[in-house]
Amino acid sequence: MSSLDSITPAEPARQDQAIAVRREADSTSLATNVSFRRARAGARRETVRDVALRVASVIALVSIWWLLSLFFPPSLVPKPWDTFAEVGVIVTSGNFFTEMGATLRRVLVGFGLAMIVSIPLGIFMGTLRSLESFFEPPVILGLTVPGLIWAVLAIMFFGLTETSAYAAIAVTIAPMLAISIWQGTKSIDKDLIDMSKVFHASAWSKVVDVILPQLVSHILAAIRYGLGLAWKVVVVVEMFGFSNGVGYQVVRGFNVFSMKAVLAWTITFLVVMIVIEFGLIGWLERSVTRWRPRVEAWRR
Amino acid sequence: MAYVSVDRAVKFFTREDGSEMLVLDGVSFDAKEHGITCLLGPSGCGKSTLLNAIAGLEKLDQGGIEFRVSSAERQVMDRKNPKENSEPGTRNPELPGRSPRLGYVFQDPRLLNWKRVEDNLVFAFKGMKIPRESWPGLLEKYLSLVGLLGFRKQYPLYLSGGMRQRVGLARGLAIEPEILLMDEPFSKLDQLTARQLRQDTVEICARLGQTTMLVTHDVEEAAYMGDRIVIFSSRPAHIVEVVENPLEAAKRDLDDFAFIQFKKRLLQTVLKLVEQEGV
Repeated sequence: MSSLDSITPAEPARQDQAIAVRREADSTSLATNVSFRRARAGARRETVRDVALRVASVIALVSIWWLLSLFFPPSLVPKPWDTFAEVGVIVTSGNFFTEMGATLRRVLVGFGLAMIVSIPLGIFMGTLRSLESFFEPPVILGLTVPGLIWAVLAIMFFGLTETSAYAAIAVTIAPMLAISIWQGTKSIDKDLIDMSKVFHASAWSKVVDVILPQLVSHILAAIRYGLGLAWKVVVVVEMFGFSNGVGYQVVRGFNVFSMKAVLAWTITFLVVMIVIEFGLIGWLERSVTRWRPRVEAWRR
Repeated sequence: MAYVSVDRAVKFFTREDGSEMLVLDGVSFDAKEHGITCLLGPSGCGKSTLLNAIAGLEKLDQGGIEFRVSSAERQVMDRKNPKENSEPGTRNPELPGRSPRLGYVFQDPRLLNWKRVEDNLVFAFKGMKIPRESWPGLLEKYLSLVGLLGFRKQYPLYLSGGMRQRVGLARGLAIEPEILLMDEPFSKLDQLTARQLRQDTVEICARLGQTTMLVTHDVEEAAYMGDRIVIFSSRPAHIVEVVENPLEAAKRDLDDFAFIQFKKRLLQTVLKLVEQEGV
């Protein structure tokens, strides 16, 4: 059927043409090969440059801090290295692990509870009209209530227990997660749902194979926002009178007016968050979006 | 094997402003059992709507679609599945309570881009409740049939458009449907790929013997692939003519005189239709 096969030696002119065509085909395939390799090498260079840019950004921030410390007394702006030394003390004394462990546990439990509730809620709201109408007001209301108020309410209700920390975090971030997933569900591809109907996919398979993968970007964004909010709420809850956690340590630093301690705890907190953000979530994102070629809209 | 009979199908579409538009105006025809029936008509005339109604994605407003099994086939099936025989009502040739196994090849491939090529087929296997032990054999058979066996572990977005379309084709075929529905499956491909795939599809369908319905607006495609060609008018659609292809599937050759004659005849019918619309 292919035009190349149908050529007979009785047509010398066309055969020449065919050879020319064939040669052209070979050279284009070679070209794509080369550009493919170049693209891969480019991707590697890109990551090296990305890391360099991130390091430069951190160095710039520390430099600004150092410049500020030249103009203010150490009680207000301590020197960066003094603060880093304090961080070292916190870590080597073992305080870091118990305090950070307590805070992390609260964040993860609260966050997990919020995810368990809001992913199904968001999907149902995006797919069922009646549930959308019913749940829209509470979700929007929930979004507007400040985390601080949830923290107060939770502590008044549950007392100074772990439960109140979990509840405050979960209730604060659940509406935001639900909205993100709800809106994402509304934008899923109807054609793929039709396809799954034609092949009689089960309800479970529709959710797991067709709907959830289309929500990955929304869920990842929701995780990032949600974690950001959760860190803020957990510190507030801990400041209210918990006897451990990073928030408690920051309040202790505040009570003795030690800017160094407050900053040192803040830095350890930031480092842990960065590890989670770039390490854990970055890894999660890469592994669940491997199927998707990277969008390089501005690179030629 | 089953065949499809469309009986006085009527379908309205509701526009955004609430007004109604007649899409199918009493369409009746029988699909050719074991053969390829081409639904040929101008773009937007409701052929795809009808295909979706057959697939169960749309509901007709009037009329019906029947799936039947010819009595000879039924007996063969009964002999193969003696258990089925004992169930009440199975002697009725009209497929009581069982809809036939349908395969669908869409205009755009509609793949799950987050699943590897082979997992896209497995998705259909799971839905159609095909026993797990036959998956490897089916994967091998149909992926090699469309020439993609070497790409089974790839993600669709790393394949070319033609290859993705072939994955869609393989998915429709691999569930070994009794009725295969195809909605302009080659219209977005380049001419050479489309030509090759048409030829492959005709061969595959002849070998598997399922009842195939193919929607197209391409006269040459209809003449080449269709054993029976159902010509639709433009919207609201009714059947203008049902043409039996005088050439046997194996003997159709795009450059052959008899084929060109047939294509011309078909084209004239369609052109006359367009002219009438213009008046």
